Amino acid sequence: MNELLIEFLRGFTATNEWAAILPEIALGVLALSLLIAEMVLPNKHQSLVPRLAIWGQLGVLLLAAGAVSAGLSSERVAFSGMILQTDITHMMRAFFLLSSILVCYLGQIYLSKQNLPRTEFYALVLIISAALMLLVQSHNFVMFFVALETVTVAFYVLVAYCRTSQFSLEAGLKYLILGAMSSAILLFGIVLLYGAAGNPGLVASSTDALNYSELTNFVLLNADNAIVRVGALLVIAGIFFKIGAFPFQIWVPDVYQGAPTPVTAYLAVASKAAGFIVLMQLLRGPFIGLSDFLVPVLSVIAAATILFGNVAAVTQRNVKRLMGLSGIAHAGYLLVGVIASLSVSWAVYAVIFYLVTYLLASFAVFGVMGLVAGSDDAYQELDQYENFARKHPFLGGVLACGLGSLAGIPPLGGFIGKLFLFVAAFQAGLYGLLGVSIIGVVISIYYYFGWIRESYFSEPSREVQTDASGAGSPSDRFLLGTLVFATVIIGVLPAALPIIP
Amino acid sequence: MTDLLFYIFAGITLISALIMVISPNVVNGAMCMIISFVGTAALFVLLEAYFLAVLQVLVYAGAVMVLFLFIIMLLDADKDASRLLKDKMTLAGSIAGFALLVVLVCAAFVGGQHLPEPALLPVMENPTGEGPGIPFTTSAKSFGYSLFTKYMLPFQLTGFLLLAAMIGVIVVSKKHEEPTGEKK
Repeated sequence: MNELLIEFLRGFTATNEWAAILPEIALGVLALSLLIAEMVLPNKHQSLVPRLAIWGQLGVLLLAAGAVSAGLSSERVAFSGMILQTDITHMMRAFFLLSSILVCYLGQIYLSKQNLPRTEFYALVLIISAALMLLVQSHNFVMFFVALETVTVAFYVLVAYCRTSQFSLEAGLKYLILGAMSSAILLFGIVLLYGAAGNPGLVASSTDALNYSELTNFVLLNADNAIVRVGALLVIAGIFFKIGAFPFQIWVPDVYQGAPTPVTAYLAVASKAAGFIVLMQLLRGPFIGLSDFLVPVLSVIAAATILFGNVAAVTQRNVKRLMGLSGIAHAGYLLVGVIASLSVSWAVYAVIFYLVTYLLASFAVFGVMGLVAGSDDAYQELDQYENFARKHPFLGGVLACGLGSLAGIPPLGGFIGKLFLFVAAFQAGLYGLLGVSIIGVVISIYYYFGWIRESYFSEPSREVQTDASGAGSPSDRFLLGTLVFATVIIGVLPAALPIIP
Repeated sequence: MTDLLFYIFAGITLISALIMVISPNVVNGAMCMIISFVGTAALFVLLEAYFLAVLQVLVYAGAVMVLFLFIIMLLDADKDASRLLKDKMTLAGSIAGFALLVVLVCAAFVGGQHLPEPALLPVMENPTGEGPGIPFTTSAKSFGYSLFTKYMLPFQLTGFLLLAAMIGVIVVSKKHEEPTGEKK
């Protein structure tokens, strides 16, 4: 009996290849070593911690790139079906690392203005980054849920990080309660799917019913089952909460406003990107059998999301809320891409391309916001940007390029990203959604340019001195310059970003 | 006999859960929640899932509920709690919840398309695909086996989840003092 048991358990551990998730492990170790470094280092050397975080992540980025070039990039399943690595997950690894590096950098700027604990911020950002990587690799609902909860719990903390600010605490509480509710909905959906797929009385039932591949077979043969349908809908509703799609967007403006600016950027870019990748994996994987039922639902939600986000953003004066609401609109465009990816397979890469351009442009804008913000982080009104471009010509330029790219103005990366998405939607025959998206883009140009107008053309008669303070250190300028440069390069030469095969 | 016990415990669970939701007094609500948890644990015992039953009592009825009661006592929250079913959102929410429940119950048990009765599989398949399977058990030992083999990665990640939560509690609740050595 014992021999048999050991043989049996060895079958499970045979695919536990820890080397496959080396970048994630390295990030986890880095997060722990930051906490240790804070304890060990004397006070005057505490500034080493952020540097360690940023340079350490660059090292992990090299490690991940090395793993890809060493030929580990082929598709493979590891940890007895817990994770599945594909070319997409390798790209997303780099994406999440890039965004967490930028968040750490913005965090450094933010924390220098606040009297708050420092090291924990970087440790949490690193844990989130590692968990996001595992989230997009997960191939089993257990892994999916644990990774998702790690991300969400760490985000609850980061959103409420500025405990001296009422807005931040309020945002943290709102995010905690609504996030917990959405997790409950998601979990209920998973449980329904598990219960149905584990029932030996049904065709294609499985003893490992949380595995995506097993579930795909089951759902294909049981697409009419009401429990399967309700389960899939609830899972998708839980993910929609994370990406802020229309009926579940209620938390977005308050949380984006109250959270510290770097955290807002992280939520807007990395968390949303992970949501979309997971949504695509589920829709093209386990729920492919339900496409006929889900596509109309998704289409209505996508259209409503685009219109709601854009219309609500028009009247906003607080720039953080504006970024949040316009982020809802971007989620709508991305949803169009997700729906297109069900019939046009390269649309997956168009979505990732769009996410990369969104990352570059958003971090340029959030970087400028971080430099401009005073110590009261939640209060960032459009009025503060009066004559901004003449006070800080460089930052004004960065802001204009970032907003232009978000709006989708031709020579910039955002235009190409939208173009690819819309071409994919056209090939998939989603003409109605295409029309709604174009209306949305037109509305978005109005409020993005309202911001640019505020910074360039408000009261041109008044004399303004150029003001060196608050314009950022040379390294800030270098980083923002690089982001803008990358946006322009992608816009002029889309082939510079080798994502679309 | 088992059937009779099932109906008794299911009744206890449901009634105490209902009282928990509609009780105007928060402490009574928490007590009813404990009874409901214990009822669920008894249902687990009837299903021969003894380990799950023990965990249900230890973790939920024990640790989690003590925490709940502490917070209720600390916040003194039992005022202004009698607004039951008066506001429209609560009413709409409960109607939607019941509608979902009815749909699911109908799908599972009623009509021509209802799900077949589930049955326990006597044997676990061998993951390597060769050799015989081993008998299925519900003992605590077998949970440990799969936790440290098949579910190793999620298990390790849970450690980081708890770490993040712990850091969070410290960061949000502890008063921060600027380190003295820093020039600010």
